[in-house]
Amino acid sequence: MDSIDLMAAAMHAARTRLDVSAANLSNASSAGFRRRIVRAIVSERGIALLTAIDRKQGPLERTGRLFDLAAVGGSFFVRDAHGATVAERSASFSLDATGRLVDERGRTLLGERGALKVKQGATIDARGVVRDDGNALDEIHRTPGASVESGFLERSNVDSIGEMVDVLAAQRAFETAEKALSAIDQTRDKDVNDVARVKA
Amino acid sequence: MNRALYAAATGMAAQQQTLDVIADNLANADVPGFKRAAATFGAIGDNLGTLALGVRRSFEQGKLEKSGGPFDVAIDGAGFFALERDGRRAYTRSGSFARSADGSLRCADGWRLRGVRIPADATAVDVAPDGRVFVDVTGGRRLEVARIRLALFAAPERLQPIGSALFAATRESGVAESIVAGGARAPKLAFGMLERSNVSIIEAMMAILTAQRAYEANAKGVQAADEMQRIANAMQIIANDLHGHPLSSTAELVHGFWPNRGHCGR
Repeated sequence: MDSIDLMAAAMHAARTRLDVSAANLSNASSAGFRRRIVRAIVSERGIALLTAIDRKQGPLERTGRLFDLAAVGGSFFVRDAHGATVAERSASFSLDATGRLVDERGRTLLGERGALKVKQGATIDARGVVRDDGNALDEIHRTPGASVESGFLERSNVDSIGEMVDVLAAQRAFETAEKALSAIDQTRDKDVNDVARVKA
Repeated sequence: MNRALYAAATGMAAQQQTLDVIADNLANADVPGFKRAAATFGAIGDNLGTLALGVRRSFEQGKLEKSGGPFDVAIDGAGFFALERDGRRAYTRSGSFARSADGSLRCADGWRLRGVRIPADATAVDVAPDGRVFVDVTGGRRLEVARIRLALFAAPERLQPIGSALFAATRESGVAESIVAGGARAPKLAFGMLERSNVSIIEAMMAILTAQRAYEANAKGVQAADEMQRIANAMQIIANDLHGHPLSSTAELVHGFWPNRGHCGR
């Protein structure tokens, strides 16, 4: 691979790192968000970028709202506006006028027997059992082995300080690649226009 | 398009909104019956930043505190006091009432507690846990004059705030269901008490610090994205120099698109 192409690819990689770190930082307050990680792999064919999701559980934060739910060791399921069933780790639900639990994106919490219908004051225990006036109504539909914490939200697993360091590192890497590119360009300028000059 | 710049900017806006909500919580920390709010956010798209999803209010019970006011009532449990003013209805958990000239019990801003009227000759008032209002009248007699009913909503979090501790019903909250206090599972009334706001000052202060740090970090992201763009723009001059024709945009350059191979000559 040509060294100028390689430096351009390095600049592109730094740019992608910045995009990902900036997006991670912006989601420092998004419940259940998991940060993205970028890895660069260098070979003769250039720089390949791999994006992955850091699956480390974020810290649980007590909110005091009974219908704020956080799944531990798995996820629970919600139905979105298009009728699709989606796995979710943490969301802030509230009752609508028909007794269904709906999150801020308009998705409905699912029980084992379809959409849950509860009354104000219903409780949800760690095994996901929903009780109304002490009677078990249904169980939250969730992945095997997952428990559900009611009154908690999973915070984003973004570490603001670490992510800020990544932002600065990406910026410097971009500068370095740009400097190297200019240096290569100057060298070639000399090669072509001075060294190879045929004296008349 | 400078994706990082806009993503970081959404992050700054999010932290700004968080700070606004916390400031509102702190400003109302001493208002009886005030319920704290929290802004919630979610990720959008593929590294495009964050989006405000809404503001959620926590109706967690506040601590009941002895107030000594002659007409103060607090609700221990769910429900709201039903108020009326100029034909409009509102709901509150702030039971800080005063007796007005016409015998009604009113909040500071003139809202009247529905269904209660204190006779002019009453010397003392007492409210039982089940909401019955007793008055002592001259001559030492004790009369039951009214019963305070509470309003329950299917979805209290969807009430619309119209003041610090005042709410109006909405279509999403459902209609108010009028209940009496005092049953086995029903809320109880505590006379001579007020419900404090459920804002924790210490938690609010910690949340401010966290939001400030996150705001600064996002500001660094904006700076870094801007700086990269500047470097890329400076490079375009070199590129023009190199090829004798301008690249169509810096974005193409930054994304590794290099027009001609073997581009070292002039």
